[in-house]
Amino acid sequence: MKSSLVRQALILAALAFVPALGEAIYFRDKISWESPVAASEMVTVDRSRAWGDNAIWVDARPEEEFDRDHVPNALLLNEDRWNDLLPSFLEKWSPKKKVVVYCSSQSCNASREVARRLRGEAQLKNVFVLQGGWEEWLKTRK
Amino acid sequence: MAQNTQVKFPWRVVDLIVGAIFIYAGAIKVLDPVLFANDIDNYKILPWTIGVGLAFYLPWLEMFCGLALIVRRLYFGGLSILIALVAVFLVATIAAKVRGLDITCGCFGHVSQNWNFPAHLALDLAILGALLALSFRVVSGDRLQNAV
Repeated sequence: MKSSLVRQALILAALAFVPALGEAIYFRDKISWESPVAASEMVTVDRSRAWGDNAIWVDARPEEEFDRDHVPNALLLNEDRWNDLLPSFLEKWSPKKKVVVYCSSQSCNASREVARRLRGEAQLKNVFVLQGGWEEWLKTRK
Repeated sequence: MAQNTQVKFPWRVVDLIVGAIFIYAGAIKVLDPVLFANDIDNYKILPWTIGVGLAFYLPWLEMFCGLALIVRRLYFGGLSILIALVAVFLVATIAAKVRGLDITCGCFGHVSQNWNFPAHLALDLAILGALLALSFRVVSGDRLQNAV
C-alpha cells in the first residue's frame, strides 16, 4: 500500500507539472522570475524626481504613516480604503502623468499590490513602483 | 448490498465536496498566477523565484488531486498530497501570524482576501479534518478495494 501511495502521488505530481509548464510559458511576459516587480515597472527615486510635475506620487502605506510624513503632494491610496480613496485619486490623475507608487521600504508589498490594482482594475498605464520605497526617498530628501 | 451503499454514501459526498473545493481553489489561482505568486511572497518564507514556480505548479496539483478524489482514481495519492499541502499551509499561516505578518492567504483568490485569521484557520482545519477522515476510511480498509 505504501508503494502504491508513493506511485500515485508521483503520477499526480508529474501530471500537474505539464499544464503548469504550459501556463508558465503563457505568462512569461506578465511575471518576472527574478523580482516581484518586472524591472520595467520599477523606478528609482532620482528618475521619478526628474519627472517633476509629470508624476503623481501615490502613498500606499497605512493612513497613520501617511499622516506622519509623506512625499510632497503625494496622494493616499492604500488597499485598506481602496474604494474610498480611488475616486479622489482618479480625479487628480491624467493620462499624461506617470504614477509612482511607494510603501515603507524595499521589502514591503503594499506598493506592488496598489500598482497591480491600478494597472488591472483601474486600467491605468505608466504605473511604477518606487525602488526602496519611502526609506529610499528619505535618504535622498536633502 | 443496500446497507453497504448507505454506509458509503456520506463518505462519497465528502469526497465530492472536498474534491470540488480543491478544484475551485486551484482554478481561481490558475487564472491569476501573478496574484498567487504575490500571496506566496507575502509569507516571506521562500525566495521569489521559488514562489513563482509554486504559483504555477500548486494550483494544478490541487486540481488534479481534487479530481482524483471525485473520480476515485489515484485516490490515496491525491488524498496524501492534499493532506500534506493543507498541513504545510496551516503551519505557514500560523507562523506568519506569530511573526506579525498581515497576509492574505490566497486560498480562494480575491474571494478570500478579506477573511480574517480565525476564518482562515477554521476553514483549513475543517478541510484537514475531512481529509484525515477520508484517509482513515481508506487505511481502515473499508474502501481499500475500490479506492487504491
